[in-house]
Amino acid sequence: MESLNKLARVAFTFVMMNYAAVAGLFALGRGRHVWK
Amino acid sequence: MGTGRVFWFSAFVIGYTYLGYPLLLAAWARLGTRLVHKADITATRNWPSISIIVAARNEGARLPGRLDNLLQLNYPGRREVIVVSDGSTDNTAAAVSRYHGRVRMVEIEPSGKARALNAGVAVATGDILLFADARQRFAANALVELVSNFADPQVGGVTGELILDAEGSDSGSTIGDGVGLYWTYEKWLRRNESAVWSTLGATGAIYAIRRNLWQPLPAETLLDDVLVPMRVVLSGQRVVFEERARAFDRASMDAASEVRRKTRTLSGNYQILAQEPRLCVPGVNPVWLQYMSHKVGRLFVPWALIGTFVTSAVLASSSWFFMMAFAAQVSFYALAALGAILDARDRRKHSTIPRVIAEGGRATSWSH
Repeated sequence: MESLNKLARVAFTFVMMNYAAVAGLFALGRGRHVWK
Repeated sequence: MGTGRVFWFSAFVIGYTYLGYPLLLAAWARLGTRLVHKADITATRNWPSISIIVAARNEGARLPGRLDNLLQLNYPGRREVIVVSDGSTDNTAAAVSRYHGRVRMVEIEPSGKARALNAGVAVATGDILLFADARQRFAANALVELVSNFADPQVGGVTGELILDAEGSDSGSTIGDGVGLYWTYEKWLRRNESAVWSTLGATGAIYAIRRNLWQPLPAETLLDDVLVPMRVVLSGQRVVFEERARAFDRASMDAASEVRRKTRTLSGNYQILAQEPRLCVPGVNPVWLQYMSHKVGRLFVPWALIGTFVTSAVLASSSWFFMMAFAAQVSFYALAALGAILDARDRRKHSTIPRVIAEGGRATSWSH
């Protein structure tokens, strides 16, 4: 069970990071407002 | 292009970025490591002067601990510490004023980290510029270990190692564990890229460059810790990874703040391609292959994931192979969904612990 949870954590992080790559592209246009 | 070709191309992008390139890099580093001719830190007498620049906004609570840390580090040469307050409205000025004569304070209107760094460098007098954040702490020998690399004339920049508390242990947080693992992988790539010639970026929490290689940053820059080192590399010098120069930090404790931080990082990776198009030109960028494989490849992977998912779904009814490929991806995303549930559970658990309150400001902090 513990190794399944570990795998699930890695899979979740991988998906979140790839989601961030797409979100990053769309965020670029409004970057200054979002990040400054 | 046929549906099958889209599948295979997408699978190649994912496989090359996360498996093929690391294997290629490992082999390359094994066959062609380029040593750094460091100074012997026990024998060297002529240490260059360094300017440590800390850009901060509303970090009054953290600064005293941070400045004590920077002033107590071992370093035989001359050092100056410069704090640039980027429109702080808290007690930042009062916190720094306690270090009168030892720390220089520069106050600017709120205009972002890039302008804060430009303002800090404008008043810096050291031969080496070292950039640091308010949040982390350095190990006692971090400065000497970092600066000893500049004895090699080919070295234009050095990045230290950021140790996250989640590495190699259970952080008690789903995203914390995931980030710890990711960061371990990322540092492995960085170590090997450094061995081959140069890293492709630095750790914002601890990196240094020769002063003569500094170019003012565009005000809207999101990733100074990639743009600054890559400009050093484009100038023909290398940026190396010094594992013995250590900074310490905590991994994100919740997925939302980590995604915000990561979105900013990846947004910055797109931005840098526009700021420095030379990075995409083979022969002009000395680490072109590594940059395309590591940094640009990551930008294509999410689209490739969509490509493999959609094409295998379309072809599943016509081939056992594509049906298995589709089932494998569905299983993977189900596993990720389980990870999301675990993350939500962790957050509920941690929301009762005061530590999370203290971590609350991390989401708006500048990235490491």
